[in-house]
Amino acid sequence: VRQGQREAVLSRLADRLREQNSWCGETHVQKSAYLLQEMLDVPLGYDFTLYKYGPFSFDLRDEIGEMRAEELIGLDSHDRRYGPRFVITDEAHHLQSRYSRTLAEYEPRIDFVAEQVGDRGVLAVERLATAFYVTHTNPHAPAGERVDALCQLKPHIQYELAADAVREVDEIIERAQTVEPTGSVT
Amino acid sequence: MPNRRFEIRDPVHTFIHLDEAERLILDSRPFQRLRHIHQLAMTYLVYPGASHKRFEHSLGVMELAGRVFDIVTRPDKLSDEVRGIVPDHGEPEFGYWRRTLKVAALCHDLGHLPFSHAAEEALLPKGWDHERLTLDLINSEELRGLLDTMRPEPKVDDLARLALGPKTVAKLELGLDFTPWHAILAEIIVGDAFGADRIDYLLRDSLHLGVAYGRFDHNRLVETLRILPTPTTPEDLQEAGGDVPEPALGVERGGLESAESLLMARYLMFSQVYFHPTRLIYDLHLKDFLSETLHEGHFSTDVEDHLSMTDVEVTETMRMAAADPGRPGHAPARRLLEREHFRVFYESRAEDVGALREVPHAVYEAAVEEFGADSVRYAASPRRGSPPDFPVRDRDGRSVSSLSLSEVIRLLPVKRDEYVFIAPELREDAKRWKAREFEGIVERVEEAQEKEEEPEKGGDRK
Repeated sequence: VRQGQREAVLSRLADRLREQNSWCGETHVQKSAYLLQEMLDVPLGYDFTLYKYGPFSFDLRDEIGEMRAEELIGLDSHDRRYGPRFVITDEAHHLQSRYSRTLAEYEPRIDFVAEQVGDRGVLAVERLATAFYVTHTNPHAPAGERVDALCQLKPHIQYELAADAVREVDEIIERAQTVEPTGSVT
Repeated sequence: MPNRRFEIRDPVHTFIHLDEAERLILDSRPFQRLRHIHQLAMTYLVYPGASHKRFEHSLGVMELAGRVFDIVTRPDKLSDEVRGIVPDHGEPEFGYWRRTLKVAALCHDLGHLPFSHAAEEALLPKGWDHERLTLDLINSEELRGLLDTMRPEPKVDDLARLALGPKTVAKLELGLDFTPWHAILAEIIVGDAFGADRIDYLLRDSLHLGVAYGRFDHNRLVETLRILPTPTTPEDLQEAGGDVPEPALGVERGGLESAESLLMARYLMFSQVYFHPTRLIYDLHLKDFLSETLHEGHFSTDVEDHLSMTDVEVTETMRMAAADPGRPGHAPARRLLEREHFRVFYESRAEDVGALREVPHAVYEAAVEEFGADSVRYAASPRRGSPPDFPVRDRDGRSVSSLSLSEVIRLLPVKRDEYVFIAPELREDAKRWKAREFEGIVERVEEAQEKEEEPEKGGDRK
């Protein structure tokens, strides 16, 4: 996927997250893009590693910076207590209209991820994405082993909540199988 | 091992403090080699003072990293929310991490090629970079032998985590995960916001070059660094059902202005020094020279070969090549040493974004067609990335996002700069050519964009 296509997908993803009442800061976008790429197979081409608040891509962070430079996204910081929220600009919507075929192709997957992530707070998103990370890297490991791995990687997460997250990720992976791989391409 | 202490005078930190184990690394061949690697490649041709080396920078990073570690792990500086992440003082684990952090800081630049960063991607075999060489050197028989004598003994995986940081560890596919504690320690050395590497190079480069842009109140910043919980909404905390936010390296509210100054200093040093167009073109001429003169056009990745190759050997070859038209690399050597470097004839404009972002490269391609590949070069500063978002402990004790609190950080420019260069003897011709052709080039870029994006024709399919 080329840069323009990625930017269209990311800005549409942020739109959908906000429609789901997501805070839509960098953590939400990072973790959603991770699920979109690794769980739903949208070929964004980012390298993710386990770092801040779960799976994190430095390429994606740079791309978000570039999207800011190109005024495709802005930062809304009116509530100064928390991190800024991403605001999708008219320029980004114009870009989305130019890449309508790409977006049509990935729309069901974008919607699916936004529905799973959108209404969660940042701590819950971190937990969910990290639970998927340990599942994705050890797909045949029993749930208990994955919960242990999650707690080892993120010691500030309580065991019971880690277990819930692993269980939930298994359910989401199953539901993800039913998402249409391709939307209607006109 | 006796616990002798050593001090080395330093123009930035006054004294660098070492113990016996750190002294062993200092005296090793890989570290001593850094005495002959310029910190800023051939920047001394633009700023004559830029003759400092990776050697003193690496010592400075170790000194600063140790100071930051001691401050952020002080029991009276830790809130209850994050206390659990830091090993107890006096416990072996505490000593282990302090030792590992300082050794990692010392070793973080060992793999640098002659003249540091200059065009290393083109001058190493595919898949190699200076960080991979750094890891090979840490893993070399010589350094492993020294690490074996240390108590506590730093593990190579942990040294890799802290010396290279998460971005490089991921790029090298080392399969090492980062817990929040690993992430904080790596941040102390190579972090974007206030890593010791960054603090030291800004201060040191600024001092040697005689430019004031890189200065900031680093002592204030270091004193106010803290391990803090990530800013979180009350709703998030309620939903989290008892989980605590991930701890991260942040700063007290009173140090925010120092952090802002550091980020401003970096921005200014990037545009005025590190990615100044004249420096960029020197790097390209150096790359051309090395491609023509190195065996098979690239550096060897063998550890012994690496240890035997420094700026001294390259400079000597370059001087001989510049003096003799029959030697390989004569033309780029002359451009470098006789200051006949290429000149900028196109610089990216504010409007070269979005649909027009390909304009600088299109100018380059058209110029190559007109003047020939040997007479034209293209260079760009790297993507600047998003400004760093780190926790700030506000005056009421809560963690707040730096981006929410600081308009300065939020508004740091992120656009990168691109340049097209022309051989000096063609400069006037190139100016006239550009005046004639530029509009047409822009139109062609716009047309290509339109074609790529027409939805009905499937032009945007991958």
